[in-house]
Amino acid sequence: MAIKPVTIAFDVMGSDHGPAEVIRGAAQLSLESPHIHALLVGDRAVIDDVLAATRHSGERISVQHASGFIAMDEKPGEALARKPDASVSVAARLVAEGEADALVSAGNTGACVLACARHFQLLPGVRRAALAAVYPTRMRHGGKEDPFSLILDVGATVEATADDLVTFAVMGAAYARIISRNEQPKVALLSNGTESTKGPRHVVEAHAKIAGLPGMQFLGNVEGVDIPKGTADVVVTDGFVGNVCLKMLEGVHETVFELAQYAHKESLRWRAGLAMLAGGIQRIKDITDWEQYGGAPVLGFDRIFIKAHGRSHARAIANAGKIAAKAAANELGKSIQQGLAR
Amino acid sequence: MSLPDRIDPRPPRRIYRWDLDKTYLQTEFDSIRDILRTAFQKAHEKQAVPGASALIRELAANGDSRLCIVSGSPRQMRSVLEEKLKLDGVVWDEFVLKDNVGNLMRGRFRALRGQVGYKLPAILESRALAPLEAEEVLFGDDAEADAFIYSLYADMVAGRVDERVLSQILSQAAVYPDEVERVHAAWKKIAVSDPVRRIFIHLDRLTPPAHFADYGPRVVPIFNYFQAALVLLADGHLTAPQVIKVAVEMVQTAGHNIITLSNSFQDLLRRGLPLQQAAAALVQALEGPNALLQALRPMPDIISAFTKRLAALGTEPAPPPARAVDYLAMLHHALPRTHKARKPPPA
Repeated sequence: MAIKPVTIAFDVMGSDHGPAEVIRGAAQLSLESPHIHALLVGDRAVIDDVLAATRHSGERISVQHASGFIAMDEKPGEALARKPDASVSVAARLVAEGEADALVSAGNTGACVLACARHFQLLPGVRRAALAAVYPTRMRHGGKEDPFSLILDVGATVEATADDLVTFAVMGAAYARIISRNEQPKVALLSNGTESTKGPRHVVEAHAKIAGLPGMQFLGNVEGVDIPKGTADVVVTDGFVGNVCLKMLEGVHETVFELAQYAHKESLRWRAGLAMLAGGIQRIKDITDWEQYGGAPVLGFDRIFIKAHGRSHARAIANAGKIAAKAAANELGKSIQQGLAR
Repeated sequence: MSLPDRIDPRPPRRIYRWDLDKTYLQTEFDSIRDILRTAFQKAHEKQAVPGASALIRELAANGDSRLCIVSGSPRQMRSVLEEKLKLDGVVWDEFVLKDNVGNLMRGRFRALRGQVGYKLPAILESRALAPLEAEEVLFGDDAEADAFIYSLYADMVAGRVDERVLSQILSQAAVYPDEVERVHAAWKKIAVSDPVRRIFIHLDRLTPPAHFADYGPRVVPIFNYFQAALVLLADGHLTAPQVIKVAVEMVQTAGHNIITLSNSFQDLLRRGLPLQQAAAALVQALEGPNALLQALRPMPDIISAFTKRLAALGTEPAPPPARAVDYLAMLHHALPRTHKARKPPPA
C-alpha cells in the first residue's frame, strides 16, 4: 500500500547557521523519504540559489516566498507584530490552512510558539501548550531503542497548574507512543522526592490525578538524578523547572567535554589515557548526538510543530522533518485527544 | 509503365534526438551486477522512465518529426531494445548503438567509456542528412557528457565553435583519430544554421541544476518528463491536451500526483522558464471535457495547486541570462564520470 504523502513546512530563515543549512536539510529529506514533501518558506531568491546548487528532488520541494524573518535576539511579540510576513508566521499560517501537515523551525523559540499560538488552535481539554525536549539517557526506550527521553514542559508554561501537568503527561505519553514506538511509555512527575506527598501543592495534586488515569503507566515521582539515568520515558514538570533542568544538563555535557579537552592538553599520560578511551568517548558522543533526533515538539495544538535546535545542521533538520512527518501521519493530535478523553 | 506505388515522406520539420539509458530507460550501471542484469534483461523487464514513451508518442503525433536515437548500449542489445520500444508504441527513424565488441577487439579501450568520440560524429552525420530548416530538441541525462556533447553539437552547427577549440576538445577528450576525422567530415557537410531549440537533461542522478547553468538557458535540467512537456508546450511543440496525456501516464504508471506535478511546475518557474502562458493553457485544457482527465481527478484540486504554486512565488522570476558556452573551461564535463580529471558536481 502506498504511503500517504505528507507535506512539511520548513521555516527556512530562523536558524543560527542561516537559511542554507535548513534548505540543505529539506533537500536531503526530499532524497531520503519519497512520501515527504517539503514546503520551504522564506526568501525565494536565497532558497533558489541554495537549491540550485544542492542535490534534491524538484518533485518533492515547493517554495513559498516570505520577505521577513525574526532574528534570535528579537522580542517575539513585538517582532511578530512588526513583521506580518515573517517566515515563521507565514509557515504557521500555511499549516493552519492545510497547505502543509506540520511545521519545522530552528528559529527563535518564543516567536515560533507565539506564531503557533496565533494560527493554531489548542486541542479540546488543553489549557496550555508544552514545549518538550529530548535528552540523552543511559537507558534505551521503546521499540526503536531510543537513547532519548522526553521532558516537558521546558519553557512554554512557566507556572503550570496540576491540571496542566496532567495534560502534559497525556501529551508526552502520546508522543512517545508514536515517535519512539513505545506502546506503554513510563511517565513520571519530577519532584524533590519519590514519595507521593513530596513537592509543592500542584505537584502533589497532579500526582494523584495522573495516578488515576486509565491506561497510563505512571511511575510516580522521580528526582533530578533520574533524568539522565532514563528511569522514565517521559518526565513531566512545569516550564520553569524544566528549563532549569535542561540548561543544567546541557551545561554538564559541555563541561565534561571541556574537561576532557583540558586533560588532553595538560599531560601526556592523560592524553594516552584518553586515547585508549577514544572508542568509548566516540560511543558516548554518538549516543548523545542530538542531531540524530532532529527536534522536539510543541504539544497541545491541533497542528504539529517541531522545534529544531537553533544550531541544527542539515542532518538534524532532515531528521526533524521525519519526526514531523511521522507525527502527522500517525495523527498525533487525535492520539492526544483520545488520551485526554479517558 | 505504371508509377511506383510510393509517396515520399514529408521532410521532417522537427528532429528529436534521444539518448536511451537513463534518458528513456531506467538503467543502472553502477556495479558489475547492474551491468550484467541490464545485459540479460528481457524487453518486458526493462522499465521506461515515467512519461518518456508518452512524450515521444505525443511528439510524433504531429506527423512531421523524426526520432533519432543514439545510445551507448552495445549493438548486441539491438533486438531487445527494439522490442522494448515497440512494446511502448515508440516508432523511431534512426537507431544507432555503440560497437563495444568492435572497440574491445581492436583494443580501443578509451572508446568503451568515451562518449564524445562516439556521439558527436553520430549526431553530426545524422544532421548532415537533415533538411536545413528542421529544428531540433535533444534529450540526454546527467550520467555522462550529454549536456556537453549536445551543446557542442548545437554550437558547431550554428558556427559558434571554431576549429581550434574543437581540436582542443577532441584532443582533451582522448578521441581516436578516425573519430576526429568523422567529426570533421560530417561538420563540413552541414550548412550553417541554428536548429537546436532545447537540450533536456534528465536528472537521473539528481545532479544539482546549477551544474548546467554555464550551458545557458538552452539546456534545461528536468526531474521528470512532465517538466519537459511543459517547456515543449511553451515552445509550441505540444498542445495542452498532449501535456496532460504525459501527466496521465506518469500518474497511472509511476505514482505521480497533484503535489509532485505542481511542485515540478513551480520548480521550472523558479528557474525563470516563461511558463505562465503554458500554465494558463493547461488549466483551460483541464477544465474541458475529456475522458482522459478522469485519471487526474479531482480537477479543481489540480487547478488550485497550480495556481497556488504560481502565487507562492510573488513576483515573476527573471529568466536566466543567455551566455556563450566556454567549452574549454568545461572540458572536464566531456570526460566519463569515473575519469579522474572529471570534477564532481556540487553536493
